[in-house]
Amino acid sequence: MPDTTTGVVVIGGGSTGAGVLRDLSMRGIDAVLVEKGDLASGTTGRSHGLLHSGGRYCVNDPAAAIECVEEGRILRRIARTTIEDTGGYFVSVSEEDLAWEPRFVEGCAKAGITCERISVEEARRREPALSQHVRTVFWIPEDGHLDPFYLVMGNVESARRRGAQARTYTEVTGFIRDGNQLTGVLTRDTMTGEETSIGCKAVINATGAWAGFVARLLDVEVKVVPVKGVMVVLSHRVAHATINRCHKPGDGDIIVPALSVAILGTTAVKVPHPEVLPIEWDEVRHMIEEGSLMADGVSTARAMRAYAGVRPLYDLGAEAEGREMSRNFAVIDHEQRDGIAGFTSIVGGKVTTYRLMAERVTDLVARRLGVTTPCTTAEVPLNDRDDELDQLRHRPAQLGVPKPHGDERPLQPLVCECELVRPQDVAPWFEDAAVRTLEDIRRRTRTGMGPCQAAICSYRLAGRLVTDRHQDGPTATRAMADLLETRWRGVRHVFWGSQLRQAQVTAGLHLELFNLDRQLMLEKSTAPAGHFPPPSSLPPPLAGESRGGGDTPDPVGVQR
Amino acid sequence: MKADIAVVGSGLAALVATRTLQQAGRNAVLIWPGLSSLYFTYATVDVLGYSDLTTTQTVEQPEAGVAKLIADHPNHPYALAGLDALRSGTTLLIEWLRAAGFTWQGSLARNLLLPTAIGTPKPSCLYPESMAAGDLQRDEPIVFCGFVGYEDFVPELAASNLSRSWGRGDQSVRAIRVSLPGFDTSRLFTSIDLARSFEDKAFRREVASRIRREIAIDSVRVGVPAVLGLTHDTDVYSSFAAEVGHPVFEIPTLPPSVLGLRLFDRLRKHIQESGVEMIWAAPAHEAEVSDGQCRRIYLKSAGREHPIDARAYVLALEDMVDGALRAGVHTVVDPFFHQSLAHHAVPTERTDESLFRPQPFASIGYAVTDRLQPSAGHGHPLARNVFLAGGAIAGYDPVGTKSRGGLAIATGYRAAKEAMAA
Amino acid sequence: MITDEVGTFSDTVEEAAPVEACTKCTACNTVCPVARSTEIFRGPKFLGPESERYRSQPEAAVTAGLDLCSGCKLCEVTCPSQVSIQEYIRRAQNKGAAEKGRTLRDWVLGHTRLLSRFGSMTAPLANLGNRNPLVRWAMERELGIHHKRPLPRYQWLTFERWFKRRPHNKRARRTVAYFYGCWVNYNERRLGEQVVAILERNGIEVIVPKQQCCGIPAVVNANMDLARKYGGENVRRLSGLPADVDIIASSTSCGLMLKHDYAHLLDIPGAEQVGARVYDICEYLWMLHEAGELNLDFQPVTTRLLYHAPCHLKSHGIGYPAMRLLRLIPGVQLEEVDEGCCGISGTFGVKVEKYDLSMKIGSRLFAAVKAAGTDAVLADCETCRMQVEHGAGAHSAHPIDILARAYGHG
Repeated sequence: MPDTTTGVVVIGGGSTGAGVLRDLSMRGIDAVLVEKGDLASGTTGRSHGLLHSGGRYCVNDPAAAIECVEEGRILRRIARTTIEDTGGYFVSVSEEDLAWEPRFVEGCAKAGITCERISVEEARRREPALSQHVRTVFWIPEDGHLDPFYLVMGNVESARRRGAQARTYTEVTGFIRDGNQLTGVLTRDTMTGEETSIGCKAVINATGAWAGFVARLLDVEVKVVPVKGVMVVLSHRVAHATINRCHKPGDGDIIVPALSVAILGTTAVKVPHPEVLPIEWDEVRHMIEEGSLMADGVSTARAMRAYAGVRPLYDLGAEAEGREMSRNFAVIDHEQRDGIAGFTSIVGGKVTTYRLMAERVTDLVARRLGVTTPCTTAEVPLNDRDDELDQLRHRPAQLGVPKPHGDERPLQPLVCECELVRPQDVAPWFEDAAVRTLEDIRRRTRTGMGPCQAAICSYRLAGRLVTDRHQDGPTATRAMADLLETRWRGVRHVFWGSQLRQAQVTAGLHLELFNLDRQLMLEKSTAPAGHFPPPSSLPPPLAGESRGGGDTPDPVGVQR
Repeated sequence: MKADIAVVGSGLAALVATRTLQQAGRNAVLIWPGLSSLYFTYATVDVLGYSDLTTTQTVEQPEAGVAKLIADHPNHPYALAGLDALRSGTTLLIEWLRAAGFTWQGSLARNLLLPTAIGTPKPSCLYPESMAAGDLQRDEPIVFCGFVGYEDFVPELAASNLSRSWGRGDQSVRAIRVSLPGFDTSRLFTSIDLARSFEDKAFRREVASRIRREIAIDSVRVGVPAVLGLTHDTDVYSSFAAEVGHPVFEIPTLPPSVLGLRLFDRLRKHIQESGVEMIWAAPAHEAEVSDGQCRRIYLKSAGREHPIDARAYVLALEDMVDGALRAGVHTVVDPFFHQSLAHHAVPTERTDESLFRPQPFASIGYAVTDRLQPSAGHGHPLARNVFLAGGAIAGYDPVGTKSRGGLAIATGYRAAKEAMAA
Repeated sequence: MITDEVGTFSDTVEEAAPVEACTKCTACNTVCPVARSTEIFRGPKFLGPESERYRSQPEAAVTAGLDLCSGCKLCEVTCPSQVSIQEYIRRAQNKGAAEKGRTLRDWVLGHTRLLSRFGSMTAPLANLGNRNPLVRWAMERELGIHHKRPLPRYQWLTFERWFKRRPHNKRARRTVAYFYGCWVNYNERRLGEQVVAILERNGIEVIVPKQQCCGIPAVVNANMDLARKYGGENVRRLSGLPADVDIIASSTSCGLMLKHDYAHLLDIPGAEQVGARVYDICEYLWMLHEAGELNLDFQPVTTRLLYHAPCHLKSHGIGYPAMRLLRLIPGVQLEEVDEGCCGISGTFGVKVEKYDLSMKIGSRLFAAVKAAGTDAVLADCETCRMQVEHGAGAHSAHPIDILARAYGHG
């Protein structure tokens, strides 16, 4: 007997899986999402955040471009909070770029992408950051920034409100079959090792670059080629709008202003495994050099960190280089292809078209389950309301200044000063069972994503682990250390100038003042590194209280 | 501008050097490019906490520990400065703190173990009186007391950790929180706001009575965040402890550091009041050297480069943060002599994979002669009348051994002595 | 990074925009006199580098609470990363005012020169009015100027007119141009007379070019356009001076504007070259002394004095030349009092909602001055002098006053 039963198990907590979960829940189908890491910790969370107008695809992949145009418009309707309408520039810098231009203009026209040529002087007036090397400028109003974390969390919360579940740190280890019919999924908590089974009628494999691994559990082949992309983050926005190179898509040809930072991207290198994503110095250097060709601010900016993501390129047959493979997606009906009923994969695609991908695969699965409710994900806003929600750029004005210098409100405290994160922004997440590491808090709230890379907020977060989540000191300290370590991993690649100086300050605070390095050596915690259990488990006795047991478990939090 | 001896720097090394010069009757000019960013690590003065980077065994006798370190590592900055410089510099600092109105305690003979804001024992040998009661070599149980709505000190975290690494039986470490009169917990308040409030007698009395109500046990001592008064002389600590009726000790936590503020504010004022001129806001660079002597350095003052012609110079800058060294993408350069101090083809080579292990970049600095002159590695000084102290010296990595204060004192004192003889 | 060639990422020392260098050490917040004295000010770290990352987006401009920044620049002077914090705050404040409109008080205080001119022309009456409780009550109500704040006395004869009437000494080995500033012109002509006398005593010809207000009241009252206009005029005129003529200022803040802010904050063309020739009067006299050219024929001046270094003097990065100079005078007993900011910070402490705060900020200084019981407190900045007289009841003078007495110029 399985431990739980549901309608559909969705494997994969990226944009596709989250979108599927939402679509299923809106059609009244019970669903549980399982993700072996945290939500948005795979491809989605490591994207460069470009809300594709389609301009980058319109020449080589017109079908993908058209999809981007349509989906972009839908997302602007339903996912306002996740989007910043920055608009975008496509700029020519070299002779080859100039030769590309007519094809670009034609491609935009065919795909219905609004594209306006403006003079360089006018462009510089609007966007002073454009570099001196820029020769031609096209303005594409429908380029923008799509925050992948808000997007995934928004979809998941929308689904949860309708009764769906999302389990993080839950890895699929196998399946339960009744003949050719899948009837359940076997899972393992990657932190505690606890094993569970979930009975279901259907399984949707939305694991992107990992699709092949999941399929292999059923001895089925899904050939996804992982292609790594490195990105460099600058500590401020550099530009108002996105800046793209007007050429055949290549390395380092995008600058995306992403909320409070700028992301330079990206490379395309095939890798043997989606979790083997080395960041090479040449890639980092190349991003900055290429970015400097397009914008002046890049060459004098403080580099904050570098990171790598992985694209799930679906091999439609031909053996080709990373970019040339189609970013279009495919729904694989394994009942038809491999004789396994109840198993469907959705592969390929990109974040911008996640909703469409979810719709297609959900259409198929719903039909099989006999559910005829149509898809409404394109009509209903993510947050189920129509209002303009809190976005980061609105936050400064909300922080309060007492009269007579401002309004009546007292100064609001901040947990993360870099990214303007308030206590009320983080508090609910400490009670969420899906949150198991401080990086999970970071993804949901942006805490620790600013220039100081969690130097200050890490202590406040660790404190809340003790006070709000009832963890013991060693667990909280190790979680704090892990947050600092993961931040460090990205900082190392841009280790010069102000970020190097920042690291000295961070080390001074944590290693010298707090003596954190010795604390890590001293503690003999049984908690695995960096994470903490869901809130419904027994809280360990707090310091000073009786250690001999006898504390009644505090039913903190709600297992949604 | 002409000067006798110019000291450049903003941390403890520069201050000790300046005081050393002043006590010897020399005219020192203190050039201060800003407050050393690590002012918050100087809550206490740490001479040597651990003898190596992997042990959790603390050093009991810092002076003896340094002597052994010097014997084992003859090129370590402690060895270059010399044990005598550490001793004399420490004596000078202790006397100075007293003269400036502080009530610091401690000596090179013995390390205290003081709990940090995450509840880890940390060895320190010179500390403000207001921290002394936290010594973990004492037996009394500890109550960490935080304030409702103040996130920058979490007593529950400290208590939970300390009870495991130190706890002696039940009830030996626990955490309480009290609410503060007049503080709306939904609003921002910093350690500076708290420190200011603690200067008010009625406030202190009320907070003390709230703490007393929570404790109800006789022989505990109470650890609070370091917010007992904004300046060194307001006697907030002793009157508060008297009101609480138990020994009280302060714990430094997230910046803004009130302890650092008290220390540097007062030392800076005292040295100025006793006749040392301080040039603020003037990052220094560009040494002009002829015939092996530095004739001049330049200060980036408002409007122009301001020349300083001194008989000798002590460059006591803290680290890369305050401009002792400039780290480009591949090369670390010194802004005075333009030496390339380190070169890395790939920036990650400057770091260890883990933040919690020693970092290659921390040891980058000027090679020095046995008289602390900058030497470009060949043993001959680049300038005979320039002396280095503090973080700018190669091999100075105080992080893992908790020795920043001692290294600052020893090198600051030694550099000053050498500058006088130049 | 500054790249040498197109597209090449070469290895030079980072020269990022100052605001990006912030490492969150929070030293600025610990020295900020406003943050120390009140809990309603977030402090320079937040209002400067932290907020600046959001200011490129129009909705994100943080303008509330910026006016609590008094403009003392102690944050900049303390920052180990050399972030020009106060400049970012001023620009944001200016932008906010430009969008939301300026108040009448902003306008009045920004146009200090006009006000002073009017006050000077109607001098005896204006001074009477400024002491009349009814007038002050009306001023507080209409303009937001605190009724307790003593306003400066105006003099009918301006320094400019006085200087024009004087005979000029053309036989001199050096010529300097004196930027006298609004205060000397309309309120303390005597100080200007002393500056001229001292320079002439040292064989220096003084010329007084036509000049405009330095613009700092406009900067700190959210009107950088006006400041730029004033500054442009000043830079134009001063650029026209012969290359060997240096420019002297006797007011700390005027001097800082000329030396630094015209170029860095207001981006006035030609300002850097002018700034490189500007000296504080004491700075200049000390340079003469080091060159062996200072007239050391001093009469003893027996007096016990305290020296309060104005906050803006710290930003000059020249140390305290006034103290060095005065120590050359026999009979002078001089000690520094460093209790931080006096609290007035130019027009900040004049405002009705900031008066109490300004007095609180200066309270330690007042107590130290009272306890010292010296003959006078010296300060190079006129508003510091006003504040010390008001808060400590002590006599305050510019260091030049003592020097003038030593030269026998009463």
